[in-house]
Amino acid sequence: MDIFLNSKTFILALSLLFTALAQASTCNKVAAEKKQLMCLQVSVHSHTDKALSGMVVYLEPLDGQVLTKNTNTLTIAQHNKSFEPYLSVSQINQQVNFENQDDITHHIYSAGSDNKFSFKIRAGKTSANLLFEKPGEIAMGCNIHDWMSGYLLLLNTPYFAKTNAQGFADFAVSEQGSYRVVVWHPQMQAANNRMVLTKQLTSNDKVSFTLDKAMQAIPKQESDDDFDFLSDY
Amino acid sequence: MKHVIGILITAVSLFYVNALYSAEYALHGIVDIRASRVDSANQSYLDGGQGKFALADGQHLAVAQAGAQLAVEWDNGLSAHGVINGFYSADDNALGFTEAYLKYRGLPNSAGYRVQSRLGIFYPEISLENNAYAWASKDTLNSSMINSWIGEEIRVLGSEFKVTRLGRMNNDAFDLSLSASAFVNNDPAGALLAWHGWTSSSRQTLWTEKQPLPWFPARGAGGALEGQAAQSDPFLEIDHKVGYHLRAEWLLPGKGEVSFGYYNNRATPYKVVNGQYGWQTQFYHLAAKWRLMKGLTLTAQYLNGNTLMQSELKQDIVNNDYASGFVSLSYQWQAKRWQKKHSTTLRLEDFSVTDNDNTLGDNNNEDGHAVTLNHSYRLAKQWFFSAEVNYIDSHRPARDYTHQSIDLVEKKLQLAVRYFY
Repeated sequence: MDIFLNSKTFILALSLLFTALAQASTCNKVAAEKKQLMCLQVSVHSHTDKALSGMVVYLEPLDGQVLTKNTNTLTIAQHNKSFEPYLSVSQINQQVNFENQDDITHHIYSAGSDNKFSFKIRAGKTSANLLFEKPGEIAMGCNIHDWMSGYLLLLNTPYFAKTNAQGFADFAVSEQGSYRVVVWHPQMQAANNRMVLTKQLTSNDKVSFTLDKAMQAIPKQESDDDFDFLSDY
Repeated sequence: MKHVIGILITAVSLFYVNALYSAEYALHGIVDIRASRVDSANQSYLDGGQGKFALADGQHLAVAQAGAQLAVEWDNGLSAHGVINGFYSADDNALGFTEAYLKYRGLPNSAGYRVQSRLGIFYPEISLENNAYAWASKDTLNSSMINSWIGEEIRVLGSEFKVTRLGRMNNDAFDLSLSASAFVNNDPAGALLAWHGWTSSSRQTLWTEKQPLPWFPARGAGGALEGQAAQSDPFLEIDHKVGYHLRAEWLLPGKGEVSFGYYNNRATPYKVVNGQYGWQTQFYHLAAKWRLMKGLTLTAQYLNGNTLMQSELKQDIVNNDYASGFVSLSYQWQAKRWQKKHSTTLRLEDFSVTDNDNTLGDNNNEDGHAVTLNHSYRLAKQWFFSAEVNYIDSHRPARDYTHQSIDLVEKKLQLAVRYFY
């Protein structure tokens, strides 16, 4: 029994090691592919030490490092009367598109933020070329469908990602120096829904975060009544 | 009529405003065709009888509802709504407006409060059943007795102001809403409930439409109600006093809602114009809807109130207490893929009217209960096929005035094809 248990523990440890190595090698590969200097791997775990996916991680330069600008277009879809994805992240002044994939109108608004906006978006249409100039988090809602809830996090850095199923987020970093590493999620029970640490980056590196408290439930973006022919909003 | 013209003028001017701001039009509605077999009195309440269904004893093919609602919505939160309904059967033939109002829905402010308001002709927010297009009932063909009455006698010309506090923006799981309405043109409400009692149907009284009263001795020559018109006109303003409706709602997204409200038309009970009396009608209503498990929803409503109508010498002619409540369970079949198209609803109801006055030849007492069982099948996206059984067992002494049995069991079996667009 002891031997069985020990061998089981050994296999478990071995597999964890392999996973970690595999992850580290992906991180290095990411850096190599992007022809960047180094890779920072961030892992996020729950208070019970389970890998947490979908957590937003970002790096903010603290030594005045000059970073490239993210030029990708971010698309926030309205699909099945919900925001997809629930969490969107963009660099300030990056183009943001809202794409209504439903066959009904939505009325998107920002709830209490420096980046105030509201607009109706007709069925199948895209509201393109929105630019947000101020960093901050925007809680978004739909004034027609109250259960719809999504977030847009605006950052002054191109280094942001969401953790994968194994709880990892990899960053290919070009400039050495000091960075603030932040994990954010609106349902994280921590000050400002964040965990923060500072990291001096000179070569490939790793940091890990473990939450102090359980995550709050992510609101279900689901109507209370799914009958298709309701009269009121 | 003055009001209708006013609304039309407003509507026309809004169409001009429309040229300046981009607007969106939405036309929706329902067509509900039914074959029914009714075991009831020979004359339905809708035809001036004592039968509790909108159809009399016998077999019927009817357009139970042909409804259309048009909405024009602007980007600034303002919208205009008009609802037209038509009903056609052997004893009934009507087409006209049921609602017409302007609505404003603001955006939530940074503290999570949203203001909404309605102005025009509308239903006070009471029914939990009639939330499909054109006020159709979603889960059953016949509405409960509470909401059949709301559809028949409760409609207001007024303004409603509603504030909603969104929990999401206040770190609360629940949303809270408070609303207050001030209204006119609902002074005779209560007359039909007193004289034909609680009923069950999907019929709505059209704006400006009159409904016939059953015969009872007090209406005869020399009776206390000799001066009462033969038809009640529920949406009249008789004394130029403003009534009000208040409502509070607690909603837990994903789970359900609980609400409480109070209605008072503040009518002067001894005022009479062209045979239409003011009925001082007030009631409170409670409602709850709860998702017990995936697919299974419990809905319940309770309404309790009083109505008073007096002679011009301020003597009570009709003084009634009334109450009704229902509990219904709706199940959306979803264990297997094919079952998703099926839903079953069972509704149990209780109802009563207590006559507190001494008027001869006008006994308004009533006591009874009702059961409804509905099964609906969604043939295609917009097409539903429904089968429904309605059972009403009631004790009503007034039936004796027309030589009918005081204790009566009424039954209805109906098959419906409903098309939503």
